Amino acid sequence: MVEIERVSKSFYKTVKDRTTEVQALSNVNFSVHANEFLSIIGPSGCGKTTLLKMIDGLIPYDSGKISIDGKQITAPGPDRAVVFQTFALLPWRTVLANVEFSLELRQINTRERTEIARDCLKRVGLGDFENHYPHELSGGMQQRAGLARALAVNPSILLMDEPFGAVDAQTRQLLQEELLELWQRERKTVIFITHSMDEAVYLSDRVVVMTPRPGRVAEVLDVPLARPRVTEDVRRDPKFAELTNYIWHSLKKAMDNGHAGV
Amino acid sequence: MTPGGAINATSIPIASRLAREGWDQGAILLSQFNINALSILSLAAVWEISGRLFDSVLIPPLTQIGAAWYKLLLGGKLLPNLAASLWTMIIGFVLAVLVGIVIGLLMGRFRAVEHFLDLYVNSLMSAPTTAFVPVLILWFGLGVQSRIAVVFLFAVFVVIINTMTGVKQVDNVLLEMARSFGAKEKETFLKIILPAAMPAIMAGVRLAMGRAVKGIVTAEMLLTLTGIGAMIMQYGSAFATDALFAVILTILIVAMIAMKLVQMLDRRLTGWKVEVAVE
Repeated sequence: MVEIERVSKSFYKTVKDRTTEVQALSNVNFSVHANEFLSIIGPSGCGKTTLLKMIDGLIPYDSGKISIDGKQITAPGPDRAVVFQTFALLPWRTVLANVEFSLELRQINTRERTEIARDCLKRVGLGDFENHYPHELSGGMQQRAGLARALAVNPSILLMDEPFGAVDAQTRQLLQEELLELWQRERKTVIFITHSMDEAVYLSDRVVVMTPRPGRVAEVLDVPLARPRVTEDVRRDPKFAELTNYIWHSLKKAMDNGHAGV
Repeated sequence: MTPGGAINATSIPIASRLAREGWDQGAILLSQFNINALSILSLAAVWEISGRLFDSVLIPPLTQIGAAWYKLLLGGKLLPNLAASLWTMIIGFVLAVLVGIVIGLLMGRFRAVEHFLDLYVNSLMSAPTTAFVPVLILWFGLGVQSRIAVVFLFAVFVVIINTMTGVKQVDNVLLEMARSFGAKEKETFLKIILPAAMPAIMAGVRLAMGRAVKGIVTAEMLLTLTGIGAMIMQYGSAFATDALFAVILTILIVAMIAMKLVQMLDRRLTGWKVEVAVE
């Protein structure tokens, strides 16, 4: 279980020698259950990526506490892996070598490394592309490689930062379906950042709606859609429309309040 | 030169069309090679004709230069001198590349190092290196160390600046990714920063190669008359222009070969980047 308790974070921004404090997150509170698929949705600049980086341990928080199974987070750890919005693949490495990268850092020997990497590439449907370089692949395929790299270290928590934001709509839908299948099979805890309302509803058990800067939790919603979810059926379900609509209003309200506060 | 121009104008589209139709690299190289050869041949023709036309010691015809070159080769002076010069140059160049990459990596990665050194690097980069020759004589004497030092000074700063720029331009997301997967500083350096900066480093090495050639000739002309530089001074002051041009041509050819070698190394190290550029 991931617990985020009263977490706040400010940045110092220097423009022309004048340093101002910008509050990115204010008093954020929620928890993520084991094996849960949880999405965080909010307007741009609400600090959702910052929050994800703090859960990963990449950046420190000012106050509050983030813990996993009771242990406070201070640095990246082997129980977590990130899938990055811009893929973050190494352009000088083949797809296979990119997946092996995460394993190299864990001092796993060459043979085992290649074996694990090949297996992960198969699981994301990239089995035939291990010798391609990232620039030879489409955005969707590059993100599959990014996902394979994260899966390779077998994390219990998968942190996904708008992973499908940079791919076209059809590919996006396909990737969402495949991610759900994978999650159904492997049952990892997933924290998924998005700004797409139907993506959040389609994928998640719960959705955390955030306010504009400084980011706060506006509300946490349950998604009572049955699983396994098949795209065509779910998107035609009246509950699906009702939920996305509800999130839309919740976001709108949060944004109006945000602006009123400025 | 209309015929030459016409051939030039039609050859290039053919080359790129061949590339588009997926012809093998050899065919394209050959046509590029043809254009190169044509360029050299036209220059040679102009030179030869004007040399014979003016019949002056200032422009010896190419055939005469060729004869002088052959004589130098047989006389056993050119090759030993060339070898001595090259050896000195290579030592200075390799030192410059090694030191330049290390300093550049440190300056690019650590703000404090950058602020500590960038004043000197930037001023020395644009200062005329020749001005330091008297100082180098005082420090290192008139021996080979001075010449190595001149080559080093000529070459090192472009390596530093290019390496530093390369390191600073490493995509932040890649660094974050490495850290997220648990990379330590050493692993980040070796697995992310060095390969990501390699194209920029190699650009610096390429420039340094050219500067090293300039450095060795300058050193041999200004410091102690040895090697190729001495031959230039000697034939220049004796008005032996055919031999002088023969030496200069030799330097040009050596410089070209050196650049080609660096280019090959570059392809080998940063092939992934070249592929991107071709697309």
